[in-house]
Amino acid sequence: MDTSTPAVFVNADVLKMYLGRRVRSVVQVMGSEGGTITGQSTDGHQLTIKGAQSFPLSHFIEVIGIADGNQSIRAEICTDFGENFDTQAYNGLCQLANGKYKNLFL
Amino acid sequence: MYSNQYDGGGGGGSSSLFSGGGFMPSQATQTPESGFSKSRGVQTLLPLTVKQIREAYQSSDDKSNFVIDGVEAAAARLLGRVVNKVERVTDVSFALDDGTGRIDVHRWVQDTSETNEMAAIQNGMYVVVGGSLKGFQGKNHLVAYSVRPVIDFNELTHHFIECIHVHLENTRQKVQVVASMGSTTPFINDQKGYQTSIPNQFSTNPPMAAGPETDIRDLVLNVFQEPSSLAREHGLHVDEVVRRLGLPGDKIRDAVDYHVDVGNIYSTIDEYHYKSACNG
Repeated sequence: MDTSTPAVFVNADVLKMYLGRRVRSVVQVMGSEGGTITGQSTDGHQLTIKGAQSFPLSHFIEVIGIADGNQSIRAEICTDFGENFDTQAYNGLCQLANGKYKNLFL
Repeated sequence: MYSNQYDGGGGGGSSSLFSGGGFMPSQATQTPESGFSKSRGVQTLLPLTVKQIREAYQSSDDKSNFVIDGVEAAAARLLGRVVNKVERVTDVSFALDDGTGRIDVHRWVQDTSETNEMAAIQNGMYVVVGGSLKGFQGKNHLVAYSVRPVIDFNELTHHFIECIHVHLENTRQKVQVVASMGSTTPFINDQKGYQTSIPNQFSTNPPMAAGPETDIRDLVLNVFQEPSSLAREHGLHVDEVVRRLGLPGDKIRDAVDYHVDVGNIYSTIDEYHYKSACNG
């Protein structure tokens, strides 16, 4: 069992706290160009995903990677979460997982 | 063996019927009964993160039992990505990465349906795993009896919110039992657990629900459910409850009205005497 490299649930707001660390986030694809995806975070901000393969527009994707900027993630793994995803619930989870219940995750 | 538990009928009796199902730890884990039903109670699936399992493993002396939030976590449900899958003749093993950590998973395959189920599982897929937690030779792992691919990814959000919810539920129940100095019977705890869990189920901020109002209601209900109160034909006079608890009369009256509304107690000879709906 290994818990040395967790991926923290983040939205755009929480991302800033984890610069250089491993994070996971869900964004809705708004555009992609040359391996860089522009997406909307679950709290409504624009995030840049580097090193990702392309995904259909308006799909939700989960990105696991390193937070390399206030609004940017260098992707290691991307998963297509499809067109139906409850961003509000996920955003709530990001807040809970970094707040009062952080000890269950990190 | 169950008959005396269900004889009560009414609302109280049926709530204990439901409490054993699903992911909530049932009271059966604490009731000394025959070996079979005990082990079945312990088998309730607890939604967990790898981080919680690691902490429980490190803090426990007995490396074969896992106690998480005061509940024996023999069986767990985890959700994460499959990595390093290895297929052998008799079993399939892989590591499950749920974002909080990684844990080894073994699935014994005996017939073709199980082989097919595991053949569909590929590295990188999100899966829900149900299985029992085992400590073995200084390492712990999950022996899976179900590995199911995640199709709707809202399930991921749901799983982790559920981990938080169950953690909250288990830690809060423990506080309640300590607060009432163990005077309540398991049956009463059972019922309270059931009632409080319902309004919180979809709340984004569950701690808000346990305010002073709820505490007074619990205290009042406890008085009505004491064996001596249950034994009395006409139940208790409201003034007696006020004297017993030493709290303001209007607060007690509010709590009594609440319990009448939800059906926990009913009036007997007049509008001052009430009795618990639970059978004594």
